[in-house]
Amino acid sequence: MEEVRTWRERLERTALAPVTKTSRGYYVWVAFLLAVIGWGAYAYSRQLRDGLIVTGMRDRISWGLYITTFVFFIGISHAGTLISAILRVSHARWRTPITRMAEFITVVALVCGAIFVIIDLGRPDRVLNVIRYGRWQSPIIWDVLAITTYLTASIAYLFLPMIPDLALFRDRLAGRVSGWRIWLYDLLSVRWQGTRAQWRSIGAAITTAMILIIPIAVSVHTVVSWIFAMTLREPWNSTIFGAFFVAGAIFSGVATLIIVMAVLRKVYHLEEYITEKHFVYLGYLLAALALIMMYGNISEYLTTGYKLEEGAEFHFRQLFLEQFAGFYWFYFIGGLVVPGLLILLPWTRNIWGVVLASVLVVAAMWIERYFIVVSGFRVPLMPYEPSTYAPTWVELSVMAAGFALFALLITLFVKVFPIIAIWEVAEDQESVEVAPAARRFAPGATPEPAEGGGR
Amino acid sequence: MKSVLVKVVVASMAIGMAVFALAGTAGASHVKVEVLGSSQDPGGGPAAVQVRLRSADEGLPVANATVTLYADESFGGVTGRVELGQTLSDQDGVATVRFHPLSAGDHQIRVEYRTSGESQPEAATISITMPGITSQLYQSSAGIQIPGLNVWLLMALVATVWVILLSVALRVVAIAHDGEAAEAPRGRRADASAYQGGATTGR
Repeated sequence: MEEVRTWRERLERTALAPVTKTSRGYYVWVAFLLAVIGWGAYAYSRQLRDGLIVTGMRDRISWGLYITTFVFFIGISHAGTLISAILRVSHARWRTPITRMAEFITVVALVCGAIFVIIDLGRPDRVLNVIRYGRWQSPIIWDVLAITTYLTASIAYLFLPMIPDLALFRDRLAGRVSGWRIWLYDLLSVRWQGTRAQWRSIGAAITTAMILIIPIAVSVHTVVSWIFAMTLREPWNSTIFGAFFVAGAIFSGVATLIIVMAVLRKVYHLEEYITEKHFVYLGYLLAALALIMMYGNISEYLTTGYKLEEGAEFHFRQLFLEQFAGFYWFYFIGGLVVPGLLILLPWTRNIWGVVLASVLVVAAMWIERYFIVVSGFRVPLMPYEPSTYAPTWVELSVMAAGFALFALLITLFVKVFPIIAIWEVAEDQESVEVAPAARRFAPGATPEPAEGGGR
Repeated sequence: MKSVLVKVVVASMAIGMAVFALAGTAGASHVKVEVLGSSQDPGGGPAAVQVRLRSADEGLPVANATVTLYADESFGGVTGRVELGQTLSDQDGVATVRFHPLSAGDHQIRVEYRTSGESQPEAATISITMPGITSQLYQSSAGIQIPGLNVWLLMALVATVWVILLSVALRVVAIAHDGEAAEAPRGRRADASAYQGGATTGR
């Protein structure tokens, strides 16, 4: 039992370390992110002053980088739902050290994605008109409803499992951190004392939230896809757009989670809890999703291409041979085939191989959203000369600021809140100790919770 | 002499004005346009406008004239002239144009007509009133109605989700109440078992 107590103390120390210790590199990193955000804010101020004419968007191609990035962020928000909710539903114990990161990625990505919709507006002061004059029959309204519901549910789903850990922070950090933090932990831990009644309540609340959030998450990206699929544009005339977008969202979400995991593991020395097994397991998920994405591509383009109506012919030429060919083939080969091989081949099936695959997937999935958005608008609706779109420095700067904001929010979260679900990791370890069949270590050996009980 | 000069000037001005007036009449339309009536089906159905063309001098009907009706309409903040329809006048000089009015109320209709032998059309403006309770008359004919599948179903679905989310929030309130009751005997600081999960608390 002494080893277990030592292990628990080490777990708490590891979880508390990011809050209590701050390196110089942290300040440099935050300053860099703030500088990028500041530059993006300046670029956006130019857009507010002069209007959308400062962007590359015009009447014929009226969506560009902003909507691409919006769809991308909404996509990666599915990381939390899949990793946390689905793995929790399926009682996959290996999930416990990474659930908190996944849940926080969800909330941050949703916030960043929603901002890009407002940025895309020429008159952001009229944003509430979508509510005031909205029509229930419009996919735009469905999207607003789905995203706000998902954001609320995601915040709840992030918050609920964090309550016991916040109580731990409240008690362990008293007198060691500034007063506002203790006040925050005290407020958010909602008088947690760990009574039986409280455990029952939190168990019921987490179960309800985790079951509820899965269909909400599926609905969110389905509705995002319907904004395209319910518009009369040749490349968006697809019945599988919803399923395709949901699969792509989970695909990019898992890849983003792997990258964030790798960075936080390295920076905050979480090697004991986030092991190679977590990367490989998530890598398997990534490889399976890559196969689903390939299947979706072949199914969609083969059936459309076999009939090849006039608009489809134009679209296929621009996508496979001309303007967007570089993007498409990087997406298919670099973002689907190569990551799949990196994960499935035994000599690259390790942390670096999985992280490299994830970087390729994230880049490819952003590019996929780009060519879906822009190439869709480029197909002429009438016999006019096809338009072109090239993002300006304003759009590039604002997009860079969006990614910097995403990184900054995660960085700040880690400095304030528990980075790993302490009680869930401890509970996982407890179950390994309690169940003799699950005991995988020789008596006296140091317990390794991240390795134990995985399914 | 002076009075003679004044009379000549006044007479010249009178003759000049008469010539000018006659020339204006001649330059104006030689066709008179009158509205015979307008009718509209209830519920935003098609409307019909009848105009009669008659020669201005003899009042004879002008047959086989090409008649085009236009209206100024606004949509999405953009105002423009919309062609309502085109037809030929019959032997009585009557032209009937059917169109779908977009809104109720008074409408200024521009009538352009070109008689045989004329290269340029002439135009006149008439006023008609479209009856209706609401200003918006247009109703889409697209779509099929499936009983029970409507916006209320969507609202019921969204409301259900939010009610469930509210039940989750109430659980948090219950946690706070339980914590408040437990704080009294043992103080604010929780013991070690508080953070170790349900495995140790029998959950």
